[in-house]
Amino acid sequence: MTPSIATQLDIILNDFERNVPHVQATAVVSTDGLVIASRLPAEVEEDRIGAMGAAILSISARSGEELERGEIARVLIEGSEGYILIRSVGEFAILVALVERDVRLGLLFYEAKKCIQSLTEVL
Amino acid sequence: MADIKQVVLERDLNPYHSFFSSFFAGLAELGMINQGSINIVSKRAADYLYSYLEAKEILPDMSAVPGNTTTEVARNLILYINKILSLVGEYEFKDEEDGQAILLITGNTCRICPKGVGGAEVKGTLCPIPSLVESMVNKIAKLDLLELVNSGIEKEGVTCKAYFKVLNA
Repeated sequence: MTPSIATQLDIILNDFERNVPHVQATAVVSTDGLVIASRLPAEVEEDRIGAMGAAILSISARSGEELERGEIARVLIEGSEGYILIRSVGEFAILVALVERDVRLGLLFYEAKKCIQSLTEVL
Repeated sequence: MADIKQVVLERDLNPYHSFFSSFFAGLAELGMINQGSINIVSKRAADYLYSYLEAKEILPDMSAVPGNTTTEVARNLILYINKILSLVGEYEFKDEEDGQAILLITGNTCRICPKGVGGAEVKGTLCPIPSLVESMVNKIAKLDLLELVNSGIEKEGVTCKAYFKVLNA
C-alpha cells in the first residue's frame, strides 16, 4: 500500500534533516502560505513559518523580476543564530528550512536540491 | 477584473470596502501577503474589532442570542458580524456532515475580496472572512464554537466555501 502524501512528505523532510547536520526544522508550504507538512519544534508557530516563508519567497521573486535579476533560485537569510533557506518546490509549494550557523552551505544546497526533486515527485 | 463601476454598484460598496480590498490587493501583488498571512492578520483584527465593539457597548448579550444548537448560535453571531462590517451581500451558514458547518458566500456579492473587488492579479485566495469569522464568533461567545478547517476558502463556480469544525455541540 502506498503511504499517504503526508507520510511521504514527512519521510523526505526527515531524510533531508538526517543528511544535513545542523538542520533544525523544515516545512513544506503552499504558495498561499499554508503549511502542507512540517517538522518544527513545538515553540515555532507553524502558521507564521508558512505565511512568512511564502511571503519572503514571493517578494523575492517579485524583486528579481522588477530589478531584472531573473528567476530566483533560492533565498538564504543569514542571522546571528543561523540561516533560513527558502526554495520553490514546483509551481505551488515551497521548502523552508531553519538551519544552525555551523552548517556546510554547500551540503545544504546540494541536499536541498535533492529534497526538492523528491518533494516535486510527491506533490 | 470586471468593470469597476459595475463592481461598485452591484456589490453596493462603501469607500472603506474599496480602500480595504484595493490596499490588500496591492500588498498581494507585491508578494507581501498571502492567504496564510491574511489568516494571521485577521485574528489580530478580530481582537481589535472586539475591543472596538466593547468600547461602543454594542456587543450582543450572549444570553439573548437565539439558537438551540452551536451552529444556530454561530449563525446568529455571523449575522451580527456581517451587519456590523457589511462583509457580504448573500451567504449561508449551515451544518454539514461529521460535525462540520459550512459558510457559503455568493462570491459576486462579497464586498471585501482583494481579488474580486480590489482587482489583485495573483494566484491563490486572499480571503480574510473565514479566519475573521472564526475569531470573532469565538471571541464574542467567550467560548470556542468554531474551528476553521483547511485555513482558507475554496472557490467553486461563483460560490466561496469555508469549512468549520463545530465545537461544544
